Amino acid sequence: MERPRLVGRLAGADPPGLILVSAPAGFGKTTLLAEWFGAGSTAGRHPAARRTAWLSLDASDDDPAAFWSAVVAALQTVAPGVGAEASALLQAAQPAETIVASLLNDMAEGAGTDLTLVLDDYHVITSAEIHAGVAFLVDHLPANIRLVLAGRADPPLPLARLRATGDLLEIRAADLRFTAAETGTYLNQVMGLTLGEHEVTALEARTEGWIAALQLAALSMQGRDDPAAFVASFAGDDRFVVDYLAEEVLERQPPEVRRFLLHTAVLTRLTGPLCDAVTGTTGGRAMLERLERANLFLVPLDDRRRWYRYHHLFADVLQARLLDEEPELVDQLHGRAAAWFEEAAEPAEAISHALAGHDTERAARLIELAAPALFQTRQELTARRWIAALPAELFPHRPVLSILAVGATMVSGGLTGVEQLLAGIKPWLEPGADLSGAIVHNEAELAPLPAQVAVYRAALALIGGDLAATVAHAERALELAAPDDHLRRGSAAALVGLARWSGGDLAEAEARYANSIRSLTAAGHISDVLGCSLALADIQSTRGRLGDAIATLEAGLDLARFHGVARGTADLHAALCEALLDRHDADGAARHLDAARALGEGAGLPQHPYRWRLAAARLHLAHGDGAAALPLLDEAVARYNTDMSPPVRPASAVRARAHLASGDRAAARRWARDSGLGPDDELSYVREHEHITLARLLLADHPAGGGDAPDVLAFLGRLLAAAEAGDRPGAVVEILVLTALTHEARGHRAEAAAMLDRALNAAGPEHLVGVVADERPSIDPLLAAVAAGAAAGDGDGAGDGADLARELLTAGPAAPGPAEALAPAPAIPPPAGSPVARQRGLVDPLSARELDVLRLLRGDLSGPEMARELHVSLNTLRTHTQRIYTKLDAKNRREAVRRAAELGL
Amino acid sequence: MVTTAHQIRSYGPNVSQSHHDYEIRVAGRLAPRWSAWFDGLTVAPGDDGTTVLHGPVPDQAALHGLLRKLRDLGLPLISLTQKEDH
Repeated sequence: MERPRLVGRLAGADPPGLILVSAPAGFGKTTLLAEWFGAGSTAGRHPAARRTAWLSLDASDDDPAAFWSAVVAALQTVAPGVGAEASALLQAAQPAETIVASLLNDMAEGAGTDLTLVLDDYHVITSAEIHAGVAFLVDHLPANIRLVLAGRADPPLPLARLRATGDLLEIRAADLRFTAAETGTYLNQVMGLTLGEHEVTALEARTEGWIAALQLAALSMQGRDDPAAFVASFAGDDRFVVDYLAEEVLERQPPEVRRFLLHTAVLTRLTGPLCDAVTGTTGGRAMLERLERANLFLVPLDDRRRWYRYHHLFADVLQARLLDEEPELVDQLHGRAAAWFEEAAEPAEAISHALAGHDTERAARLIELAAPALFQTRQELTARRWIAALPAELFPHRPVLSILAVGATMVSGGLTGVEQLLAGIKPWLEPGADLSGAIVHNEAELAPLPAQVAVYRAALALIGGDLAATVAHAERALELAAPDDHLRRGSAAALVGLARWSGGDLAEAEARYANSIRSLTAAGHISDVLGCSLALADIQSTRGRLGDAIATLEAGLDLARFHGVARGTADLHAALCEALLDRHDADGAARHLDAARALGEGAGLPQHPYRWRLAAARLHLAHGDGAAALPLLDEAVARYNTDMSPPVRPASAVRARAHLASGDRAAARRWARDSGLGPDDELSYVREHEHITLARLLLADHPAGGGDAPDVLAFLGRLLAAAEAGDRPGAVVEILVLTALTHEARGHRAEAAAMLDRALNAAGPEHLVGVVADERPSIDPLLAAVAAGAAAGDGDGAGDGADLARELLTAGPAAPGPAEALAPAPAIPPPAGSPVARQRGLVDPLSARELDVLRLLRGDLSGPEMARELHVSLNTLRTHTQRIYTKLDAKNRREAVRRAAELGL
Repeated sequence: MVTTAHQIRSYGPNVSQSHHDYEIRVAGRLAPRWSAWFDGLTVAPGDDGTTVLHGPVPDQAALHGLLRKLRDLGLPLISLTQKEDH
């Protein structure tokens, strides 16, 4: 049945890039699109049909990796060259945005003209990550590409904005429902009935043009002597149309057809042999063909008529009917389906039928066998969903299933039930335990069980903050694990390393992380290697070995490149940015920050969101641009999550330092108060960075000392002793520099020069000069004094300290002192909530796109770089930035960024 | 499966929810036999051409599951009310 009025709208002169077909089930969405693209039409193909990539989504596509693979496969049916790179990126577990960007480039260049991508049944998608990727696709759609989204619910896209800008064409229920004329054509011509105008009008009114209902009505009337009577009783009834009509249709079927329909309703897809297994009869295939011929809502899923599914609406009616009429049979039907799928080696389908049929024993067995493979492919979520559906009493006798449940829970961030599960495993691990009572289906997972339990115990102890127990359990895991069990050895070593790090034993922590990296590399768990490399590099740089830290990070990048792994690489670049800043290499640092940014947050581990912002802020500070640094630091504080690493450098302390540098001592004092810090605190490695920050604040507050002022020099002395005892040269250098500055502030030039000389000598071998360079130009006179050999006991000006002082002084004019360049911090901290919601202060609020641009303006990308990032031309970018300046009443980029920060955008 | 310290996330509080009674009104008269399909809610067709589904719903996820079933059947939703605790 052709619908020229709708196809005409779709094929209008210049249709926009996004077409949304949004209506409930049974409104002919798919049929209309098929007609438009010519697949179901006899009247010649619409030009659009020539290049249409069609993807019908189902629940299994609700996973980013599966979804984008399916999109690429669909595109390749019409544009074979498209998506080759995207496929490779998918295999390397790259973030969705990278994959979409690659696809967009391919489509813009290689797809030629007029390519349409149809995503049908988009309402099955619930993954926020997929929605974000599709939103990105919509925002960057090239002119030659059209995207069609069809589904029963509106997708979470900025539809209002797209409507306002004319970038959206919508076909909704009101458009799709049959008009009276269409109803007549459908019933009398397509379905072969002979109804008068009165009946047609009555049916149209009763069904409100709902096509599925009309279809059911037509089926009910076929072969009836008196269709008018049927119409009269239907129109005079106020039962839900589907309920009324499905009953009519079902009642008119022979008993064996009716039974077949009800009993196979539990299947999400049907094929002859499967139907035979479920119904316990034969002739399933013939029955399916018969149903298809009778137009009984059977949809073929392949050209060879092997697999079918019921029309969704009809399937729901059938299932509800089955549940009402033969509830005792439902579990049995699912059980037969589960057995069939298990035999067919389709564990996912088998498990979902076993669970639906409450055959938990079978489900438990299948899950135990299937789950390890899911962990390997990072589909822990599916495993967790399955396991959560099993009753608790099933676990005590199943040690392997139990440990899988512990893993599925802990990997996805939970603790619920873990202790109970581990307690249930314990008896089976006792020496001489009688394992004959245990139910084990996956024998291969039994041998490593003791080591795995110890690893989880160590992780639990760490979460509970018990470092001694963490080490004890992890060491036990190392004893229990087989020599070639690299995975558990690597996990256990990393846990010992982390506990030692938190306890301040840096030498032992470094050794353990090095072991862990070796084992995890052998096990092929590259992202975990990268996480450990970050920790190792942090420790090495704390121990004053920046060169080793940089080597560790670069080795991590090499390894990731070799294995094609992305997750963790953004972190490595951000860490390299900071390591190079410590060496006062701002250009090198900027390159790594760009690399981290290009990879995106999706290529980062849990710490990355705050760490790259810290790195970016520090880079701005190194250029004296405090106004750009502070918003980033605010964001870093909000995202501060060390992912179990010791909080040795809280983002709030880094922000307090920036406040101090900008002269906002009040903000720094608030931080010190909120953090409960004081100069008389007991010292510990974990709080060292905060204490040094506090010393900076005290020095700024009391430069002259004396009177009631806290004794900064005594505090620094204690810090110095602790840092030297703990062998932390970076901290030693910084404390010495602060001691020198304190002496200088009090007019003790000779002591000051001696301290700075000591600092430079300590910094020398590893070029830990960043902390000195940061104090320029105010420290320049003191540097000159050291260079001139004024330091006590260094009469000729020839020591390492003097050389380094000269080097620093000749490194070009000092960057503008942070104190002059920094703007005052925003008077009002940005409120919570989305940027768009915050724009009450603006007459003309920024659009979502302009907010995107604003975000980039905060960074240090050039115009062409930003244009590339946004996939727009430079001219388009200029239009955006000009509109932002106008709306924010700013003259330039810097003013715009500052104004946005004030508004909390 | 691997658990390194760097994979363990921080843990939020458990969201505990007691179940509530809900009343969902839809357009069209629906036979009471649909009760089993709608997770055992009582299906009460009215004289005004609407149907009320009512009963306890364990949590928000279950409520959204019910709404999705209504949507998939094409049943027009009229109102949704949480009833006072009894």
